[in-house]
This record gives sequence, structure tokens and C-alpha cells, in this order.
Amino acid sequence: MRWPRWFRPARRDAECETDIEFYLETETADNLARGMTPGDARTAARRKLGNLSLLKEEVYWMNRSMLVETLWSDLRFSLRGMRQNPAFAFTAVLVLALGIGGNTAMFSMIRAVLLKPLKFHDPGRLTYLSVEDPKRKVENGRFRRPEVEEMQGAAQSFSGLGAYGANPESVSVSTRGGEPEALKAGRVSWNFLTILGVQPLIGRAFLPDEDRRGGPAVAMISAGLWRRRFGGDPRIVKKPVIIDGEPYAVVGVLPPGFQFPFDGLDVWVPRPSEFSMLPSRFWDIPLLHAFARLKPGVTFDQAGAELQVLHQRYVANHPAFAKEMGATIRVVSLRDQLVKEVRPMLWMLLGAVALVLLIACSNAAGLLLARVASRSHELAVRTALGATRRRLIRQLLVESVVLAIAGGLAGLLFAQWSLSAIATLNAFNQGPAADTLFLPGAQDIRLDRWVLAFTTALSVITGLLFGIIPALRMSRPGIGNFLREHGAGSGSAARGRPPVPGANAHALLVVGQIALSIVLLIGAALLIKTMAELRSVSPGFQPANLLTMKIALPGKRYATGEQKCAFFRELVRRVQALPGVRAAAVALSLPTTANKLGTNVEVEGQPALEASEQPIAQLQSVSPGYFHALHVHLRRGREFTAGDDAPGARPVVIINEAFARRFWPEYPRGPDPIGRHMAEGADRIRSAEIIGVVSDVLERGLAMEAEPEFYVPSVVHPPQTAYLVIRTDRAPLSFSNPVRSQVFAIDRDQAVSEVRSMEAILDLTMGRRRLMMLLLAVFAGVALALALVGIYGVTAYSVTQRTHEIGIRQALGARRGQILWLALKHSFLAALCGVCMGVSGAYAVTRVLEGFLYGVSPTDPPVFIAVALSFLAATAAASVIPAWGASRVDPIAALRVN
Amino acid sequence: MAREDTSSGDLLQGTLDMLILQTLVMGPSHAHAIAHAIERRSDEILQVEHGSLYPALYRLDDRGWIVSFWGTSDNNRKAKYYRLTKAGRKQLTAETSRWERLVRGIGRVLRPAEEQ
Repeated sequence: MRWPRWFRPARRDAECETDIEFYLETETADNLARGMTPGDARTAARRKLGNLSLLKEEVYWMNRSMLVETLWSDLRFSLRGMRQNPAFAFTAVLVLALGIGGNTAMFSMIRAVLLKPLKFHDPGRLTYLSVEDPKRKVENGRFRRPEVEEMQGAAQSFSGLGAYGANPESVSVSTRGGEPEALKAGRVSWNFLTILGVQPLIGRAFLPDEDRRGGPAVAMISAGLWRRRFGGDPRIVKKPVIIDGEPYAVVGVLPPGFQFPFDGLDVWVPRPSEFSMLPSRFWDIPLLHAFARLKPGVTFDQAGAELQVLHQRYVANHPAFAKEMGATIRVVSLRDQLVKEVRPMLWMLLGAVALVLLIACSNAAGLLLARVASRSHELAVRTALGATRRRLIRQLLVESVVLAIAGGLAGLLFAQWSLSAIATLNAFNQGPAADTLFLPGAQDIRLDRWVLAFTTALSVITGLLFGIIPALRMSRPGIGNFLREHGAGSGSAARGRPPVPGANAHALLVVGQIALSIVLLIGAALLIKTMAELRSVSPGFQPANLLTMKIALPGKRYATGEQKCAFFRELVRRVQALPGVRAAAVALSLPTTANKLGTNVEVEGQPALEASEQPIAQLQSVSPGYFHALHVHLRRGREFTAGDDAPGARPVVIINEAFARRFWPEYPRGPDPIGRHMAEGADRIRSAEIIGVVSDVLERGLAMEAEPEFYVPSVVHPPQTAYLVIRTDRAPLSFSNPVRSQVFAIDRDQAVSEVRSMEAILDLTMGRRRLMMLLLAVFAGVALALALVGIYGVTAYSVTQRTHEIGIRQALGARRGQILWLALKHSFLAALCGVCMGVSGAYAVTRVLEGFLYGVSPTDPPVFIAVALSFLAATAAASVIPAWGASRVDPIAALRVN
Repeated sequence: MAREDTSSGDLLQGTLDMLILQTLVMGPSHAHAIAHAIERRSDEILQVEHGSLYPALYRLDDRGWIVSFWGTSDNNRKAKYYRLTKAGRKQLTAETSRWERLVRGIGRVLRPAEEQ
């Protein structure tokens, strides 16, 4: 390849000079030889060559790239134009900043959460293992400890295989004599750091022996905790730390920013199956998440096939699990597993914000169209002076790209601001509930250079996109006519062309904006209706004025059931005595949150079944005042009394209505459950008497139906970790300190955590939907504003451009209503078109929201109709303002305009 | 201001290109010689404005149909010489046959008029 000419234009010019000089000399010499005088010879040579300056100019331009040479002048020209019309520039930049900023923010979230590789060594080979059994409705099933150990020993596909406990645990951490602090701990197998390829900051990782049952009490802590609580003392590895009242040896500190398997952990302990909420006899139920590092060269499928064989062998050796024979073991990438919940939401939000950008683009195009139309005269003059069409288009595109880049810069500020707003929302991560928002890698969301590159590219594309329509429209060769028409002072309306250059394109743009905003508005409205539906769901208790907190009793100091019960009994007694407290109780778990304990049950009078075939019901262990404190309705029988909760009392249970319907299908008619006996697997209660039936409480979340549940008194199943619920007579959070001091009064080492009002917990359980709704509502709001500004603009603009015509019509006797209609007609038609397109578009796409909706179908007619009608009303209002102004034009003044 | 096309029209420009390429078939030559050769060989019918040769030469050079090199002219001066490339030869063949087709076509249209 040769260098392009414009690479060294001066040198090329000089070469041409030499060429021409050579020609002239040779030709002159020839002429002299033919006998001319020297002067004539030179002149004749020049004549032969032709117009020398034209020739030089032609070569000059051949040697230069138009782009390089004129870009700079275009740039200066457009900046000058913006200074002359700051209102237009400001509006356009603001509109674009909203669109580009929103996309930048969403992209940085997607980059941090979905695209960035996990911050571990060779993250592509990290896998997550799960049990899938569609027939038994097992999805993302977990493993039993013995099976994990067998896989660890036998599987050849992995260089390391480990496990972690299903949930983070709340622990109370203190140094000797210091205040306890409630922190989150993760239970992991000893080799978790080896698998992830992470080195401890100081100290060592866990040892295999520390993973055995009854192994030594050891822990690793986060770099944050180490600095905050232990002043970054490197001798920490020799010092014991009190965790849940027990001395633990800290063996190592993890590097800063380490997050696995959950966000916000400060303590890691080995023995993943020894879940503190469960009695030790449950430690071998399927509780463990398994993860592993693939050996080089082994594919996910090969690993899956090997594990499948191991699983079949395991099931064959354990006849009790025979029904799990049909299960398949799934091997997926660890990252995919970690982001499974949020991925659809993030892509959907990116789609929504991309629509906002399209709207912003089309809005800016409308602004630009109006501005360029008002510059028709300038463009016509430039054409007349010899500017080619291509040159004009480029000038206009440079202007729009400059605007878009300014918009991109402002958008970065906007993105930064909205990301910090989202970061505060992400406090949802701490939530206890099943449906809370969890953004893995959220702490990595920032505007890095990839995001900057994305924003730059997006700005340029945006600039070209919104600039191209006005540029093509206004640089039409026929624009030259404008000079003549304008001079004659006559409109061109009679020729069937729009009376204003670009008006048709402008109206089309507005139609597009309206259609896109309708789609967003309908999406947001569906989610708002979902939230309303969820809020109107009765959780089965009264959430207002209810304070909750979590108390995790350390296992060593509160080992026996009697010790635990005594603590909670004393706590409830003291709290109930506080002024302003109506009632107080403790329970194993809080309604509408995760961490439920299900167990198999056997009911008197029902056919006897194998333990593994028996129906499952949820076990809830409560202190006697629980139903009273939560306002759960007693349907039949009686509540627990203090006598039922005393040691050695006759075992009794209370069931919910779902339980009653499950076993007595005719309930509430038919045989009465009261007085029957039942048994359950978890605590092997033999024949406890059913003494009451209570209304259903939504234990798993507002969007989940009530399941069969039975309540036992605390004494039957003394909780290690329990929730205190307090019914107050005013704002519940004002009671947190008095209640806390009652806890410390009983045991000054006992930490309290997750102090929340029940209403806040209900909000948390809607975290994902709420964020989705909030963001979609914001996007839709921006879209609506842009579309309204757009339709206002198109009406106002056409009215100003037609002042003259309106004046004539008025002078000829047109009534105000006719003028009003004249001004409104176009925008009203545009609005109607846009709404129809938007509604049909929404009908096609809203089903992607299905997973987020509750109690409303994705094509809910009331929502569609309401959005369409209110939008039409809003556009009518937006266009009536300028139209009204038009109808009040003074005909004399209007006719004087030209 | 922009001067993207030389406004001599496609036919004329292509024709001049063809004539230059044809002249260079005889061997390398400089612009002055090319101009005179075209004039002489067309029996002075084609009065090429010699200046317009230069943009045409540069364009052919850019397209890789000819290459330039510095040489010494008959009158012992440094001059830029042009030589036909392989691609240029191919282009000439294509241009020539296109031209002949065109001439034949025009000839067929005109002949009946002559006979009238």
C-alpha cells in the first residue's frame, strides 16, 4: 500500500510545482527552437498548459482529505453556533445527557455484575454443581455432606471441590472484654481458598483436619474487620477472638474486597454443614452448595457426566434416597450461578434505558430539525456560494456529534450520581428475605475505562443517529428554492409540501417518541400495579407497629434447650414490662422471609407412609404470646399458654388453615382437626395434640402462597437463633434501644442484629420488584417528559412558522375555534398514531416482565387503556398551550411579521 | 471549497485516462512528452489542455495503474517519469474494449442518418 496523498500534502504540492515547472521549461525551450522570442515562448507554453490556478487548486484538493482539512473549521463553526443559541444547546445537551447517562449507569452495572470476570484465579474454570430433578420439582438442589465428601474423594474432573452453607449466619464477635458486634459469617469447606486461587493476606487458609466434625474452633476474618476491630495487628493470627461467646483462633485474614460465597461477610468458619440454626442431627440433610475448579482440558459436560455416575452410585448405596435416582447433576459456571437472579433484570433495564436513549435521540433530532430549519437561509446561502451537499451534511453531523459528546460528558456526571443512588438501594443486600435484591460484584460498579469507552462510542453514535435526519432533510438540493420563496414572502403550502421545511420529519419523530414512551409507561404501570397488588395482599398478620430483631444464642453457652428457653422467657417478660409495649414474643423465623424449616408430618387417621413419602409442612416454634403479638387470627381451639411452654408439659401443636385443608379437605366443614394427634420428623414429637387452628401467615413472601404449617411451643423446639417480635403503640424503631438494653441486662455478651420494623421487612421482600419498578418508573417519567416536550415543540414551532398564515386567515374571518383546530390537528394526529403504535408495541413486549409481575397479566387491559388515555390527555394539554397562543394572535401584528 | 468531481464528465475523464495509458504502452515517459504524443498521434484533433494531464496522472498513480519515478529528460533535466503497471495494462484493455463497443454503438445509430 502507498501512503494516501493527504498524508504529506505539502510535499505533493511541491512535486506538482516541479512537474509544472519542468513542463514550462521544456515547452519554452521547444518554442524557442521553433524560432519564437523568449517572451512569446514562455507565454505560449503557459497558454498550452491552460488555467494554471485552476489546475493548482484541483491538485491542492486532491492532495488533501476534505475530512482532515475541514473538520476543524466545522468544529469551530458549530461551537460558535452553540454560543449564539445557548438555549437550544442547553436543552439538547440535557436531553442527551439523560439518555446517555442512563445507559452509562446501566452499562456500568452490567459490566461489574455480569461481564467482569470473577476476581479469582482463572475464573473460567470455576464451576457450580447442583441437583436437578424436574419430576420432584427440585431445581438448583443442594447436596448432603456425605455425598460432597464422596465426590471430593472420587471425582477426577476437578482439581478441587468444596462446599458452602446455604445462608450467611449471624454471629456475635467480640474481643475479650469488648462490646459484641453482630456480623455475618459464611461456612465454607477448608479448601475454598485453594479452589478459588486466593492467598490469605496474612496467616494461612484452613487445614483438612479443621473441616472434620469436632475439629478445632478456627476462623478467618475479612481485611475490613481486621483493620477496624484489631487495628491491622499482624499478630492477630496468634490471638483468640470471641465468636458467639466461644474463643476461636483466627488463622488468617482474607485480602480486601474478597467476597465469597456471599456479599458482606466478615467471618469464615469451616465445616459448612454445621448450620447453627439446626440441631446437629440435621447436619446431613441437603444443605450444601457445591463448587469446584475444573482440571485443565475438562469440559463442563464431561465433569457433569462423571458426577452423574458418582451420584447414581451414591444413591444405589443409600436405599433411603432411592427416589433421587432420577436426578441429574448440573455443572455450570460459578459466575452464571452467582448472577442468575439478577441477569434478566439487568438486561431488561438496559433495554428500557436504551428506549429512553432512542426517545432522547429523536427528541434531539426534533430540536435540531427546528434549529436547522431556522437556519435555512444560511444553508441556502452556503449552497449558493458553492458548498456541496456532502459538505453541508457533514457540517450538520459535526454539530450533532459535538452536542452528543457534550451530552455524554454531562451524562457521565448523571451516571455517577445515579450509581451512588443505586448503591444506597443496594443496602437491600443485607436483607433476610428470599426476594431481596442481591447484586454480586456490586461494590465494583464504577465508571472505569471500559465504561468510558462505551459512553464515548455511544455519544458518537447518538450524535450521528439524531443528526442524520435533519442533515439529510435540510441539505436537499431543492433548498436553494428557499431563497426565492422567502424573498417573495409567499408560503409553499399550496404545493402540497409541508409549509415548514422538515415539519413532516419532525412529526414522525414525535410519533416515534410517543410510541416508545407508551411502551415504557405501560411497563412501569404494570409494575406499579404489581406493587399495589402485593401491598394489598394480607400477610396474615398486622405488620404496622411491629419491631423485630434477631438474637443468635451462642451454642456453647446456651447448649441445652432449658438454657435457651430460660433466656427467651426472661427476655419476653422484661420486654413486655417496658412502657409502650403491647405484646412481645419470640419465634424461630420471621414471616415473609427465607430460612424456613420444613419437616415431614404424620397425622392421626391418615394412611401410614414411609418417612420419605410423608407430606412436608413447615415447622414454626413460637413463645405463647406469638399469635397475640402478630394479630394472627385464631380460627378454632385455643392459643398456647405458659403451661404448654413449661418443661415436661404435654406436647401440643397449633396448625394453620392450609394444614387443615391439606389433611381434612372438607375443612372448615367435616371432621374437626382439634383434638387429633400428629407427629413430625424434626423433633420426633410423638402424638402431639392439635389444640388450635390459626389463619394462614405468608411465611415465604407476599407473592408465595401459604403452605401447610404447624406451630410448636418454644420448649419443644428451642431455637438457637430466634427473632424477637414486639407489638408497640407507636413508631417501632424508637423501642430498639430500650429493648437492646434489656438483652444486655440478661447477658452482656449477647449481640442483637437485624433490628427492623416489620414494614421495612415487607419492603425488603419486594426488593427486586421494587428496584425494577423504581427504575422503570424513572425511565418512563423521563420518556414521558421528553415526549411531551417533543409534542409541545412541534406544535409551538409550526405555530410560530405559520403566524403569517394564521394572521391572513383571521383577517379573512376565521373563527378562533378553526384556528385552534388548525394548530392542534397535526399534533393530535401524531399523538393518536404514536399511542396506537405504542400500545401495540407494548402488547408485543411486556411479556418479558412476566417474572416480575404479581396479580396482573402482562397485557392487563385496564393498565393499557389507562396509560393510553392519560397519555392522550397529557399530549392534548401540552399542545393546547401553544395552539391557544396561536388563536390569540393579533392579525395586524401577524401580517406585519414579514 | 469542495471540488470532489472535476466536472469533465465520466466519459471524458475515462477517455483521457485511456489515452494516457495507451501512450505509456510504448514505454515510460514524462508528462510533457505524453501530452505531445497524444496531440501528435491524433493528428492534432485532440487538443488536450496540457494542464489537465497532471490531475489525471496523479489519479492513475493513486489507483496503482501507473507508477512514477525520477529520471533525466533529453534536455538533461530532472523530470518525473511514469511507467505502466500490470494493473494499468489490464485496465487499458478493459477501457479500450469498452470504448470500441461505445463507438460501434454510436456508429450504428449514426449510419442510417448518413445514408439518408
